[in-house]
Amino acid sequence: MYGWVGKILKVDLSERKITTEPTEDYIDEYIGGRGLGARLIYNEYKPGTDALDPGNPLIFNTGPLTGTALPGSGRVDVTAVSPMSRLRAKSNFGAYWGPELKYAGYDHIVIMGKSEKPCYLSIRDGQVEIRDAAQLWGKDTFETQKLIQQELGDSETKVVCIGPAGERLVRFACLITETGDAAGRTGMGAVMGSKNLKAIAVRGSGSVQVARPAEFLEQSIQVNREIREHPAYAELSQWGVARGVHMMYAMSFFPVGYFEDVCWEELLEKYQGPAYVEKYSMKNMGCFCCPNRCMNFFSVPGIGKGLTSCEPFSGFTGAVWNLDMDVFWEATLLVNKMGIDCTETSATIGLLMELYHDGIITAKETDGVAMERGSKEAILSTIRKIAGREGIGDVLAEGQMAAAKQFGPDAVEKVDQVKGLAPHGYEFRAFKGTGLMQAVGHRGDPLPLRGSLLEVDWHHAPEWFQSVGKEQFGSEEAAIPTSYIGKAKSTIISEHMERVPDSLGICKWLYNLFIYNDVKMATRLFGMVTGKDWEIEQMMEAGERVRNLERMFDVRQGLRRVDDSLPKKFFEVPLSKGKYKGEVMDREKFEQMKDEYYELRGWNKESGVPTRAKLEELGLRDVADEVLGSN
Amino acid sequence: MFKTVIIDAQKCSGCRSCETYCSLKHESLCAPSRGRIHVIKWEQEGIFVPVSCMRCEEPSCELVCPKHATYRNYSTGAMEVNANLCIGCMSCIFACPFGATFMDQSTGKVLKCDLCDGDPTCVKVCPTGALTYEEISQETMLKLIANAEKIPRLVREALGKNEQAAAG
Repeated sequence: MYGWVGKILKVDLSERKITTEPTEDYIDEYIGGRGLGARLIYNEYKPGTDALDPGNPLIFNTGPLTGTALPGSGRVDVTAVSPMSRLRAKSNFGAYWGPELKYAGYDHIVIMGKSEKPCYLSIRDGQVEIRDAAQLWGKDTFETQKLIQQELGDSETKVVCIGPAGERLVRFACLITETGDAAGRTGMGAVMGSKNLKAIAVRGSGSVQVARPAEFLEQSIQVNREIREHPAYAELSQWGVARGVHMMYAMSFFPVGYFEDVCWEELLEKYQGPAYVEKYSMKNMGCFCCPNRCMNFFSVPGIGKGLTSCEPFSGFTGAVWNLDMDVFWEATLLVNKMGIDCTETSATIGLLMELYHDGIITAKETDGVAMERGSKEAILSTIRKIAGREGIGDVLAEGQMAAAKQFGPDAVEKVDQVKGLAPHGYEFRAFKGTGLMQAVGHRGDPLPLRGSLLEVDWHHAPEWFQSVGKEQFGSEEAAIPTSYIGKAKSTIISEHMERVPDSLGICKWLYNLFIYNDVKMATRLFGMVTGKDWEIEQMMEAGERVRNLERMFDVRQGLRRVDDSLPKKFFEVPLSKGKYKGEVMDREKFEQMKDEYYELRGWNKESGVPTRAKLEELGLRDVADEVLGSN
Repeated sequence: MFKTVIIDAQKCSGCRSCETYCSLKHESLCAPSRGRIHVIKWEQEGIFVPVSCMRCEEPSCELVCPKHATYRNYSTGAMEVNANLCIGCMSCIFACPFGATFMDQSTGKVLKCDLCDGDPTCVKVCPTGALTYEEISQETMLKLIANAEKIPRLVREALGKNEQAAAG
């Protein structure tokens, strides 16, 4: 087989049974990666099973392009049922583990059951072993990786693991590989912890076969060059996102505090991210075969070394009212070592700060620590307590809502969540399309979708990006942040586009968002590697099939139109200052965008459920029969 | 004028492009384990060292080969292996002082950098400049100047201090 290595590994930890199944049966409809993973979980999960029950399958998905000589080919998609929402979880991580899994002989891993004792999985060139992890239990994610490499006597073994937070079933625990690559969101660490599974170590000397190697080599060298000549590259490979964060705050696109407002003058004036990069970043690094290097490797004396990108730069600054970059770095390193999702953790701390600020809680509720805005002690001690489930951390580990219920109804009123997740890190009041994408999205965060970033790009050259909006999404208004027009269509197209790189096992930053703004290049590369010369339309149809299947999984879990919403703050509290002063999401217009979205999708407008006709058109008759009932 | 691949490990980000593209170029598949260059990684310290053939003046690999399968390609300077003569004894692999002669574990074949006949693929895709393909004389001249330059810099610094002291 070209592209795919051909096998799905199935591990039952209760029975200690290891089997395989061919990948080939699924690829024409679901490609691989996220798409195929969605089909696997739909098939394997029995409705009614609790997220932390042994019956919840934990599934790792690489795609046909993962591990090929191609920029951004290091991605892995992870799915299970989320302990935060009871909907389908989805998280994606990069670095070097995914390619190694393919070289070891597998496209996907499905993990079922629960080991009697702590264990880890070792996969070496088709040899799969369930090994004892007693000596690893309690270790942080950095130590765990080192100890496994030592035990197996191979420093090139790639490890994805959980930290102490995952072992203790913190509901937003994550998976970590290397020093800062995470399957961060939706609580995959808790699911792995519930199986008594500490880590998966992989090592392979195999290969990914390529259908047209000479053509692929030439094209891939070209892609490498195009990326390096792109303006986004100059920024990301040197600064990571550190400078972009400030720009986002200036445009009221990132929340300050717990979405209390979006303009914090002090932050705009004093944000030290870029200076910190200049002072402490040893080098920029990226994932497998990627020239783009969007992550900073910091080495800070007295705090430590590691990688970070993206959300910590706003999560541990603006979202918790912090301007001290040492605190940002200590917090980031701590969540990565403990294995908890930075985004949910910073939002949780932001919530406590808002409650404290508004006098709803006092230091008494938080073990004597005053949750003052920006307080170093408040930030760091809360992280430690969540990871260790100590004091107030025990209930915080159950999620924001569980904690708020303990504090009382005023606190419950304050909780901003969408589908059980903190909707950080974008702000939606001025960005209507982003708001819609967030609300109807498969998980409760906005994820960078192309249509959403178009609303950001618009600020740089309004007329140009309006013409892009017209060309790509059928309407100039699609690019204008404050307009409600054309957003349903841009959401739909962006959603299908997003599923293409995710299913191919490549980076959507490169092949969707920043370098190539559509799926043409990804589709071409797919053809050269696999020998399947699909048209763009066929690729986008696979994206639509995956989107509908994912929706049906959640419909089977009870999801309906009413769940596609935003916290009421976004409808009721206008922005008090900044560039978009006075902006608020208009509820009626918001619901109209949703109507338009469901109609264009071929979904039932009242319930938000895909129609039988749409499902049959996409070849999902069996899913329609099971979930909608056969008639 | 000989050109060669120069490795500057300090610049390496550990992305493994060199290994993977190398396998695609030479073996028509993607497998870093079959690259003719390898990156040794200390990811928790952010340190990465690419290792490949150094094209020694007196190459151990050539000296130990019982079948004279290893030879120098005088148009590029690369040490190459004649697969028809190679008996797979691995003497060259163990004799290499850098560990830079590799073995393809699936075939037992020796993997040795041939500089892609003077147009190295790894250099084309290395994003950080950790791998460059340079004329040796020019590169050594630059090193020589960079090293020698420390002396005038120290002299200027010392003079500057003296001048400041005189002014103060």
